[in-house]
Amino acid sequence: MATKSAPASAPAAARPRVGVVKFASCDGCQLTLLDLEDELLSVVEHFEIVDFPEATSSRSAGPYDVLFVEGSVSEPAHLERIVELRRRTRHLVTIGACATAGGIQALRNWGDHDAFRAGVYAHPEWIHSLARSTPIAEHVTVDAELRGCPIDPGQLVELLTALITGRRPQLRDESVCMECKRRGVVCVMVSKGSPCLGQVTQTGCGAICPRFGRGCYGCFGPREQANAAGLTRHLQMAGDRPREEVGRLFAGFTAYSEPFRSMVTELGGARTGRGATTAEPATTTGGKA
Amino acid sequence: MVIRTAPLRGHRPALEGPGFLARADLQILIDLLREEGRRVIGPTVSDGAIVFDEVTSLDDLPRGIGDEQAPGRYRLRRRGDERLFGFVVGPTAWKKWTFPALVALTRASKDGHKLSFVPEPPDTSPVAFLGARACDLAALGVQDTVFTGTAFVDPDYAARRARVFIVAVQCTNAASTCFCTSMGTGPEVESGHDVLLTELDGGFLIEADTAAGRILLEKLPLRPASATEQYGAAATVAAVRARIGDPVPAAGLHDRLLAQLDNPRWAQVAERCITCGNCTLACPTCFCTTLTQTTDLTGVDAVMYRSWDSCFSPGFAKVAGGSFRSRPRDRYRQWLTHKFATWWDQFGSSGCVGCGRCITWCPVGIDVRDELNAIAPAVPLVPEVTLVEPVAATPNDFVTARVVASRQESVDTTTLTLTGTDPAFAKGSTGQFAMVALPGFPPLPISISRFLPDGIELTIRGAGPATKAMCAMLVGEELGLRGPLGNNWPLDRAVGRDLVIVTGGIGLAPLRPVLHAIVADRRRFGDVKLFYGARTPADLLFRDELERWGARDGIDVSLTVDRAGPGWTGRVGIVTHLFDQATWDGTNMTAFVCGPERMMQATATTLAGRGVPASRIHVTLERHMECGIGLCGHCQMGKYFVCRDGPVFSIGQLGDIFGREGI
Repeated sequence: MATKSAPASAPAAARPRVGVVKFASCDGCQLTLLDLEDELLSVVEHFEIVDFPEATSSRSAGPYDVLFVEGSVSEPAHLERIVELRRRTRHLVTIGACATAGGIQALRNWGDHDAFRAGVYAHPEWIHSLARSTPIAEHVTVDAELRGCPIDPGQLVELLTALITGRRPQLRDESVCMECKRRGVVCVMVSKGSPCLGQVTQTGCGAICPRFGRGCYGCFGPREQANAAGLTRHLQMAGDRPREEVGRLFAGFTAYSEPFRSMVTELGGARTGRGATTAEPATTTGGKA
Repeated sequence: MVIRTAPLRGHRPALEGPGFLARADLQILIDLLREEGRRVIGPTVSDGAIVFDEVTSLDDLPRGIGDEQAPGRYRLRRRGDERLFGFVVGPTAWKKWTFPALVALTRASKDGHKLSFVPEPPDTSPVAFLGARACDLAALGVQDTVFTGTAFVDPDYAARRARVFIVAVQCTNAASTCFCTSMGTGPEVESGHDVLLTELDGGFLIEADTAAGRILLEKLPLRPASATEQYGAAATVAAVRARIGDPVPAAGLHDRLLAQLDNPRWAQVAERCITCGNCTLACPTCFCTTLTQTTDLTGVDAVMYRSWDSCFSPGFAKVAGGSFRSRPRDRYRQWLTHKFATWWDQFGSSGCVGCGRCITWCPVGIDVRDELNAIAPAVPLVPEVTLVEPVAATPNDFVTARVVASRQESVDTTTLTLTGTDPAFAKGSTGQFAMVALPGFPPLPISISRFLPDGIELTIRGAGPATKAMCAMLVGEELGLRGPLGNNWPLDRAVGRDLVIVTGGIGLAPLRPVLHAIVADRRRFGDVKLFYGARTPADLLFRDELERWGARDGIDVSLTVDRAGPGWTGRVGIVTHLFDQATWDGTNMTAFVCGPERMMQATATTLAGRGVPASRIHVTLERHMECGIGLCGHCQMGKYFVCRDGPVFSIGQLGDIFGREGI
C-alpha cells in the first residue's frame, strides 16, 4: 500500500504572483484592494504584487498566478492586449461592472458611435475607440468575477482567502432580496412602491441601496436565471409605468448583460435625449481608428 | 356560523376571570419585564412599516397606526384612535430572535496537525415578545417541532427559544392577505403564550396562561374586566374570523396538491415568479439554511456560519454537475408542495400558518391562495413510508479522526483509512455516511466504504476543491467527522434471498461494506451477483477485492468498462448491458443499486422487468447536504430529507418522484 506521510513542517511555498491591470474604467475597483486597510499586510505576506500601477511603480510582463482585470474592452488596442494578458495568466479575475458587464460606457452600444465622437470631441479623428464597450469575458476565458460598481471589499477578501486555502470562493448566486430580508430591511418596492432591481440582481453588495431606502439599480448585474421579463411585466402593469421608464431601470452600469440587455433593447431605455439611439445595440466590435 | 370566543384560561388568584389593564399601564408591564433583565421586543414604526425591534416605552409602539395589505403592497395609515396594536402582521417574523438570519456555529483552528472544532455558544440573554399574534405563536410551534421535536435537537435554536417570554395580542383587525382561519391557526390565540392581551378602546383585557404569566399579572394594577368588556373582546375576534372567511379550504389539500406535480400552472406561475426568495425569508416557519466558511488570511482559524437560505435560489440544490431543481417552476413547486403537503409527512403539521407575509411581501404580488386553489383539485393519493433509525451528532459538533493510511484507487480517487474515530462509528451500518470537514471547507457527506474495529475507511473522488484537499491528506493529519448518518442498506431483508448489486465508478464505495458483510456470512444469502462498470479498466476501484470476491468468496462478479485499454479482455459498454438479456426470475431477488440517477432508473426498469418488486429495489441518492440530519433543508426530495430519511430508498417508497426532472 502506497502511503504518504506529512512532513513535520511544510516548507514556505513561493507567494503567488499577482497583477492588477485596467482597461476602460475609473480605477475605483482597484482602489478597493488598497482600501483593505486591516488586511493589506496579510495580503502582501501571501501574495507577491508584481504589477499594480495604483500602488507601486514596479512593473512586470508576467507571468501572473492571479491577474485582476478592471475595465471593459473599449479601444482597438485592448483587443490584442487582453488576449496577450490571458496567455500569461493562470487565474484571470475580472473586477467590477466595466470588466464583467461592459460598464456604464456600454450604453453607447445602443447609440451612434460616430455621432457621439463628433458631438463631444473637437477632433473626433484622434479618438481611438470601438463602437461597442464589451466585457472581458466576451474576448477571453475568465476564471472568476467580482461584480459591482465598485466591487465589495468583503467579496474581495473572500476571493483572496479562497485562493490561499485552495477552495472555491463562496460568492452567492442569489438575489439582493435575500440580503435585505436577512438584515431586516423593509422592502422598498412593497412598502413604498419604489421600483427595485434587487430581485433580478446578483447579491454581494450587502443591499446598500435598499438599506438607504431606495431601489437597487443593478450594479452587480443580473443573477443566474434572472426573470427580468417577469419583473418588467409587473412594473408596467401593477406599477402603471411607461415602457421607457421601465427600460431605463435596466439601462445602468450592467445594461449590456443579458437579460438586462434585451429589456433595454425592447423597451428603449438607453435614450440619451439627443436622438442618437438605435433600437438594437451595435453588433460589430470593429472600431474606426 | 359558530362564534368562537377567546379562551378564558389562566385565572390569577386575586381575579375571577380576565383583568383590565388601562392603556397607560402597559408601560408597567414593559418595565416589569425589563426589570427581570429581559429585552422587550415589540412593534415599532421604521421605514414605512411596523417592524419588531427593542421597545422600552409606550412611545415606541405604533400608537394609532394601522396597515393596509394586498398582494405585493403594504402601506401604513392613521387610524384616528389611540390603539397600540391596531395593525395586523408586518414584515418581521419572531424567528429573527429564535432562529437568527446569521449565526456563528463552530470555530475551527489548527495547531500543526491537530484540529479543534469548538461550538459557538448561542445568545441566551432573556427576551420578551410583546404583540405576538395567533399565527405567530403557531409559527413558533412549527419551528419548535422542526428544530426540537424530532430525534435531533438543534442546540442553538433550543437555547434561544428557551429564553423567550411571550405577551400575545388577539387580532382585532384582519388584512386582505390573512388566511389563518383556513390553516387552523387563528385568529383566536389559544396556546403558546404566557400572557394574552385583547385591546379595547381604553385599555386591555389581560389573562395569563402560565405560572410565569400569573406572577407578572399579580404585579400589575388590574381590576376585574366587566362582562361588557369581555363580550366586546370576544365579539371583536369573532368578527375578524368572519371577515377572513375560509380562503383556502384545507381538507385533503396534502393529497390534492401532491397529485398535481404535472399541472401546467407550475410553469405559468414561474413566468411571474422572480425566484427572489422574499416569500421564504418573510415566512415565519421556513427553516432552510446554508453554511458558509470564513477563514482569516493566515488560514489558521476558520468559522462556520449558518444563514437563512431559500429553495428559490438556483444554488440551493446544486451538486457538482448542476442543480436538482434547475427550473424556476421546479423551485416554486418545491416550495408550495413542501409548505402545504410534504411538511405534514415530515413534521405532522402544515408548514403554513396563514399569516399572509409571503403574499404581501412578494414584490410581484403572487398570491399563494390563488395558486393553491388553481392547482389542487380533489384527487386522493396514499404514499408509502419506511424509515430506519440513524445514529448521529448535531451540526456544530465534530469529532476528529487521524489518517493512518492513504491508498490511491485510481487517478482521481483515494481511500483514507482513519483511526481514533468515535465508538459510534463502530456501530455504523452499511450505506451510512459521515459529514467530513476540513477547516475552511464546507463539510461534505462521504459514504463510509469500510467499517473497522477501531475506525473507518472513506473513499473519495477528488471532484472539487474540498474533496481534492481530502484526497491529498497525508498520514498523521486529522479531519473532522460527524456520523454515522443516514439509513442503511436493508441487508436483513435480503437474508435468504438472491441479491443483485449494480453499480458504477465511485458508486461501489457505499456498497463495499455490503459485500464485506455478505462475505463474512456468505451462507445466509442465495446467489449474489455484482455488476460493476467504470470508465476505463484503470478506473475500477478496489481491484484486488473484486478479484478475491469473484475467485474465492462465491460472488458472481461481472465487470464492464466504457473504454477498453491495453490488456482488457472483458466487456465494454454500460453496466445495464451486462444483464439486460438475462433470463433470471427476480421474484425472490433483492437489488441494491448505486450510480447516477439515470443509470439507477434504467437498472430499476430492467430489474422490474425481471419481476423484482419495487419494494425490494433499493437505491442510494446523492443530494446537496450540509447538516446531515434534516435541519438545513438542502437535500429535500419531495417529502423526504435524503440525509435523514435516506440516502437509501426503495423504488416503491420514492414512487413517481424517482427520476423526475427538477425534484
